[in-house]
Amino acid sequence: MTKVNRLAEGRKKTLLDLVSGRRFRTGWKSFIILFFIIFVILPTVWILSYVVTDWSSIQTEVFDKPEIMQVITDAIIASFEIAIIVTVIDIIVGLPMAWIMVRKEFKGKQYLDTLIDMPLAVPTAALGFSCAIFWAVTPDKVNAPDFSLAFITSPFMLIILLHVVFSYPYMVRSLSAILEQIDQTYETAGRTLGASKFTAARTITLPLFRAGLVTGIILCLARSLSETGGTMIALSTMANAGTFETGPTIIGKWKALLSTNPDLAAPLAFVSILLIVISLVLLVVLKLMVMKVRLPAGKVWPKWERTLSRNWVPKLKDGSAIIFLFIFVLIPSFFIFSYVLVSPSAITEWGTFWNALIYSFIIAGIVTAIDIVLGVPMALYIARGHSLKFPQFLDVLVNVPLIVPTAALGYSLGVFWKGVPGIGSLDFVLIIMAHVAFTYPLVVRNVAGAVEEIDPSYEETARTLGAKPLQAFRRVLYPMIKASILAGAIMAFTRSLGETGATLAVVSSANTAPVYIVNLIKADQFYLAAMACIVLIIVSYIFMLALRYVTKRRTD
Amino acid sequence: MPEVVLRGVSKKYGKVVAVDDISLTIKDGEYVTILGPSGCGKTTLIRMIAGIIQPTEGQVFIGGKDMKGVEIEDRDLGYVFQNIALFPNLNVADNVAYSPRVKDRPAEEQAATAKKYLELVKLLDRMSMLPGELCGGEQQKVSLARALATGSKLLLLDEPLSALDARVRMDLRYDLRRLVKQLGITTVHVTHDQEEAMSVSDRIVLMRKGSVMEMGSPEQLYTKPQNMFTANFIGETNFFEGWVKERADGLSKIELRDGSEMSVANCPFDKGTAIVVSVRPEFVFPFTSGLHAKITSITYMGTYWRISTEADSEDEVELDVPVADGSLYKIGQEVYLMVNRKAAIVFPRPREGIAEAISLE
Repeated sequence: MTKVNRLAEGRKKTLLDLVSGRRFRTGWKSFIILFFIIFVILPTVWILSYVVTDWSSIQTEVFDKPEIMQVITDAIIASFEIAIIVTVIDIIVGLPMAWIMVRKEFKGKQYLDTLIDMPLAVPTAALGFSCAIFWAVTPDKVNAPDFSLAFITSPFMLIILLHVVFSYPYMVRSLSAILEQIDQTYETAGRTLGASKFTAARTITLPLFRAGLVTGIILCLARSLSETGGTMIALSTMANAGTFETGPTIIGKWKALLSTNPDLAAPLAFVSILLIVISLVLLVVLKLMVMKVRLPAGKVWPKWERTLSRNWVPKLKDGSAIIFLFIFVLIPSFFIFSYVLVSPSAITEWGTFWNALIYSFIIAGIVTAIDIVLGVPMALYIARGHSLKFPQFLDVLVNVPLIVPTAALGYSLGVFWKGVPGIGSLDFVLIIMAHVAFTYPLVVRNVAGAVEEIDPSYEETARTLGAKPLQAFRRVLYPMIKASILAGAIMAFTRSLGETGATLAVVSSANTAPVYIVNLIKADQFYLAAMACIVLIIVSYIFMLALRYVTKRRTD
Repeated sequence: MPEVVLRGVSKKYGKVVAVDDISLTIKDGEYVTILGPSGCGKTTLIRMIAGIIQPTEGQVFIGGKDMKGVEIEDRDLGYVFQNIALFPNLNVADNVAYSPRVKDRPAEEQAATAKKYLELVKLLDRMSMLPGELCGGEQQKVSLARALATGSKLLLLDEPLSALDARVRMDLRYDLRRLVKQLGITTVHVTHDQEEAMSVSDRIVLMRKGSVMEMGSPEQLYTKPQNMFTANFIGETNFFEGWVKERADGLSKIELRDGSEMSVANCPFDKGTAIVVSVRPEFVFPFTSGLHAKITSITYMGTYWRISTEADSEDEVELDVPVADGSLYKIGQEVYLMVNRKAAIVFPRPREGIAEAISLE
């Protein structure tokens, strides 16, 4: 061995030794946890402290101004009403669809499978426009195609129809995932005991379903409560939306006015607090309720339930589930394509859009990189320590940014960093931090889920063979979880790319692609907006295909 | 009354034939075991009786009624699953009361039925526990009680004991037979365990590759198997390859591959026919003369020693000797073996070879 080689060897060893040392590892672990707490959790809920520090301004600016109070209560009530109605619709139509996907074998099933995920490829900003021109009565300047349905005049109805589109895939996926894990023998056993198909499903499978139902409900509620860009666009596109606002849109609107009207700080904080608190309370209540409350499954009506199990009834049910998918989910998602085909071309300039798109890409890229570097260690810590109290606690905490409506999260984060000199004024950094906060859980959840399924004995074997912890991770664990890391990364990337609410709430003049589209709509540049939407759909679709490819390979 | 009749029943999955043209009658009150190696189609068969899967061809009759188009829940039968399949969200009593409940019987009747059948399997004290809190044997007993609580006179058991520990399995199979006989229930029991089949059945239907090889009482199948597969699958046996050298009514002479001779009492084949003689280990004895063989292994079995030998005729021969005689034998020792000529059964030598004729797949 030459001297140089030995020297290199020696240096490499010290570096590896250094990172393998107990002290370094403890330090690194603490850093990861501190990052999570300071950069993700604290900013997310920071606004709650406003209640203590600045109650007096809430008193004067909100409670003493009935017109502001009225706007806030209307918006919050509308938000939760919409979220709850949307979730109920999703359950009713998602359940039969999940049943079809899991329990039925038929030709073309894989196409149906792809179709269900299609709306996920459409950024909500594009969905908002697409849904609005399909369902709603629009002013002449929009130039909606003649064959659009154009009969919805209530903004409340339109937003429900919009939110169903993007929350439906989440519900169907959560329900199918849990249904797949329920042994079909239970139902067969029920039937040998004299229960009709419907009775067996109702009395046995559904009660076993509860955990999956909670996941689906939480995902739907959270997505609906968070959605900003699509909602704003739909409201701006339809005729006579009036003063209708949801929680997130009012945050976006007021945030933009904040520079000229500083009095809005207190109402903004108040709306954010309400959204955060009610969401978290709802989450806890749901978890408790669904676990504790028993569904009233006692009484059985054999004759009626038999009728429901036979002949035309199941066919009608399956048929309606598929018709619903097409009319309420797929056609509204992609109606935008017909718009650019029939409307006269009116492109003024593309430059700003490409700039916005590139800006969005850079942000999404940096956000994803941060998520991976700091999220994967967190996931390992949670997954490998799930019998300990603290990692369990972190596991619960990680979900909080997923539940908190992103507009509220963005505003809270903005307020948190405003006081910090050097950061508070850097729009770019603020946007990245906001996006990290709500995408970080996606990576952690994905990776932690994968790690939990891998037997720790693999790493332990590597350690007994002399590998340092870092080597054991790189050589043994990493190859096994690579696909999940990638899957988490792609989810984080697309979420960041499509996000409007958090961006607007943290920096109202931000210039990301979805925000740019919102602004185009507000400026009546409908054709350019539609084209921009389509570009965004194509880009997202490519990423979704990549995600499918990656996750398929993981399961094979 | 539930007599089960299968008429030319087949099940095909594409080109794979799982069950091939089976006709079978199970009489009212009979306990029939469908026995066979895994993959022989026995579970497919019982599932077609239950209506869980539909036959590609043929008809299933229960109590004289054609079951075509009749849903599982209308076939009036009890079914016990291999994986037990107790509803995890219901306690023991609610599991057993499930059948009366889905038939909308009055609440008192539901409770009384649950109590009655739990008493029958002696698990009344477990009533309010969840299935997960019971051990495997208890779970399967509850599942049996649940199937019986349908009040049906036809019980289908799909490998009911396979998932259980050996000891529990032994105890439970006696309970099983005692209960169904006491209740006068027609039973179809699927298993791959020949010992289990022998000890519970009135009649065994032996299946292989989707077809019925043979059926008969356990004793018939053991003492007078009609083919080599049965002789080998039920119990244990030694095969000797040879030819008929001399045929007589009382005693026929068989010549083995090394030229040595063996006498058998019943040989239905003519002189010169290539045959295989089957003799069970308990009918082979060490003697002062006979087949010359060398001991290859000796195994202690508790109540006897199992001695494996290789005869000069290249046939592998196993025999059992009493515990007390164990010390008389050593590996490598040369012995002479005699067979009980009345217990020897002669089969024509299969063209495909012995290994193929007795292979499980």
